[in-house]
Amino acid sequence: MLWRAAPLVVAFAVIVAVWQTVIWVFAPHVSLLPPPLLPAQEFWKLLASGELFVHTGMSLMRVVSAWLLAGCVAIPLGLAMGWSTRFERIADPFVELFRPISPLAWIPLAILWFGINEAGKIFVVFIATFFPTLISTVAGVKRIDPVLVHAGQVLGCIDQQSLFRKVILPAALPSIIVGLRISFGTGWAAIIAAELVAARSGLGYLIANGMEVLRADKVLVGMVMIGLLGVAFDALFRQLSRRYSWGRT
Amino acid sequence: MTRRPGKAISIRGIAMTYASASGSAVEALAPIDLEIGAGEFLVVVGPSGCGKSTLANILAGFGKPTAGVALIEGTPITGPAIDRGMVFQSYALFPWLSVTGNVEFGLERKGLSKSARREVALGYLQSVGLADFADRQVDELSGGMKQRVAIARAFAPEPSVIFMDEPFGALDALTRRALQKQLLQIWEEHRKTVLFITHSVPEAIFLADRIIVMTARPGSIKTEIRVALSHPRDTTSAAFRDYERSIYAQLDEELVKSFAVEAADLRQGAAAD
Repeated sequence: MLWRAAPLVVAFAVIVAVWQTVIWVFAPHVSLLPPPLLPAQEFWKLLASGELFVHTGMSLMRVVSAWLLAGCVAIPLGLAMGWSTRFERIADPFVELFRPISPLAWIPLAILWFGINEAGKIFVVFIATFFPTLISTVAGVKRIDPVLVHAGQVLGCIDQQSLFRKVILPAALPSIIVGLRISFGTGWAAIIAAELVAARSGLGYLIANGMEVLRADKVLVGMVMIGLLGVAFDALFRQLSRRYSWGRT
Repeated sequence: MTRRPGKAISIRGIAMTYASASGSAVEALAPIDLEIGAGEFLVVVGPSGCGKSTLANILAGFGKPTAGVALIEGTPITGPAIDRGMVFQSYALFPWLSVTGNVEFGLERKGLSKSARREVALGYLQSVGLADFADRQVDELSGGMKQRVAIARAFAPEPSVIFMDEPFGALDALTRRALQKQLLQIWEEHRKTVLFITHSVPEAIFLADRIIVMTARPGSIKTEIRVALSHPRDTTSAAFRDYERSIYAQLDEELVKSFAVEAADLRQGAAAD
C-alpha cells in the first residue's frame, strides 16, 4: 500500500521543484504565484486554527449526502432499467436528454431555486452523481451472463423477486460500486464549482475567498486539499471495488 | 436412491420454429417424440446447429416449443424448476459465492437449515473430490474443478432430471476423461435421470445407456442406439470401436446435409442484404 504512494510523492516533489524554479526565473508578484513555502505555512496555519477542517468537513458533508441520496434513487432505477427492456425504452430518452447537460450548468438554476443554502449545493451534486451511478448500474445488469440467470432459475429462483435478490443484484454489484466510485469523483468536482459561486463555507469558498482578497496562497491551500482528498477517496474506493470485483479482474 | 419405475420425461411432438434475422421462418426442431426412463443416462449427439441445445432449453423450461408438449413425471413443463437441474458448458458458477456457497444455493432455496445444507454440500463436494476446496472462491479454480463444482451443485438439490449441455466441451481431453468417470460415479450413486448433450462420439458411448443421433436441421431423431456395455467401459475395446464406427457413419451422412444447410443460410443471408 505504501509503495503505491511512491509515484505520487515523486510527482508532488517534481511539481514543487518546477514551481520553485518558476519563482526564481520569473519572480511573479506574490499575490499571483507565491513561493511554495508560503501556502505550506498557510496550510499549517489553517490546519492549526481548525478552519481547514471546517471547510473540508462542509464540502465533504455536502458531497456525501447528495451522493448517497443520488445512489438511493439511481441504483433502484438503474436496476429496473437494466432488467426490464420495456421500462428502459420509456426511461432512456429522459436520461439521454438530461445526461449531456453538465451538472455545472445547473448551478444558476440551483441558486435561483434554492438561494445559496445547502439545498442548492446538494441539488447540484445530486445531478453530478446521479448519472454516472445510473449508467453503471444499468450496464451492470445488462452485462450479466444470461447463463447465470438460467442457473439461478434451475436452482430454485423461480419468481422474479428471488432471482433479483439472489442473482441479479450480486452479479451487478461490482459495476454498481464502479459507478459509485466514478460519481464520487464527479460529485467532488461539482461541489467545488458550486461553492465557488454560491457558498459561505467549504473548500470552494476558501478558494473563491482567497481570490477576492488577492491571497493566492489561500487559493493554493484549497486546491492542494481538494487534490489530496480526491486521491485518498479514489484509493479507498479502489480498495473496496477490489473486494467486490468478481467477474472482471 | 431407488430407481423409479416409469418415464421421467415424455416428449410428444415437440417442434421449434423461430424467425431468423432476415425474417424468414427457420425450423430448428422437427416434431420429436421421445421417452426417457427414470434413472436413465441418455446422450444426444448430432451435428452443430441441429437443435440439441434447443431441446435441452425447452425441457429445462427456458423456452416454449412452437408445437408439442413435454411432460416431466406426467406434469407438463411450464417453466424452470428446481426439480430439473442443469449443467452448462460455461460452468455458470456464481462468482460472488464460495465453492460451498454455490453448491448450497439450491439447498437454501429448498429451505434447508444452514448446518444441514453445509453438510449436504460437503457430501457432494466429496463425491467430486473437492471437499478440501469448499471455502475457496470459484475464480481460484481451474476449468475442470469449476465444472465439478457445477456438477455437485446440480446434483445437490436432488432434482429428478439433470440436463447437461456439452458440459465438458470447453475442457482438455484428459480432464474430460477424468470428469466423465466422476460423473458416472456420482450418477451411479444417486441415479438421477440424465440428458447429456455432446459432440463427442466416444464420450457418448462411454457414458450412455442409450444414444440418440440427431439429424441435421431441422433436428429430428435419426436413430437410437442402446449401449450394451457394462461400466467401466474400455474405450479401446473392439465392441466400443464397433459402436463408434456405426455412430460416425450415421453422423457423417448428417454432416453433409448440415454443411449444405449452413451454406444455404449464408447465401440467403447475403441475398437478404
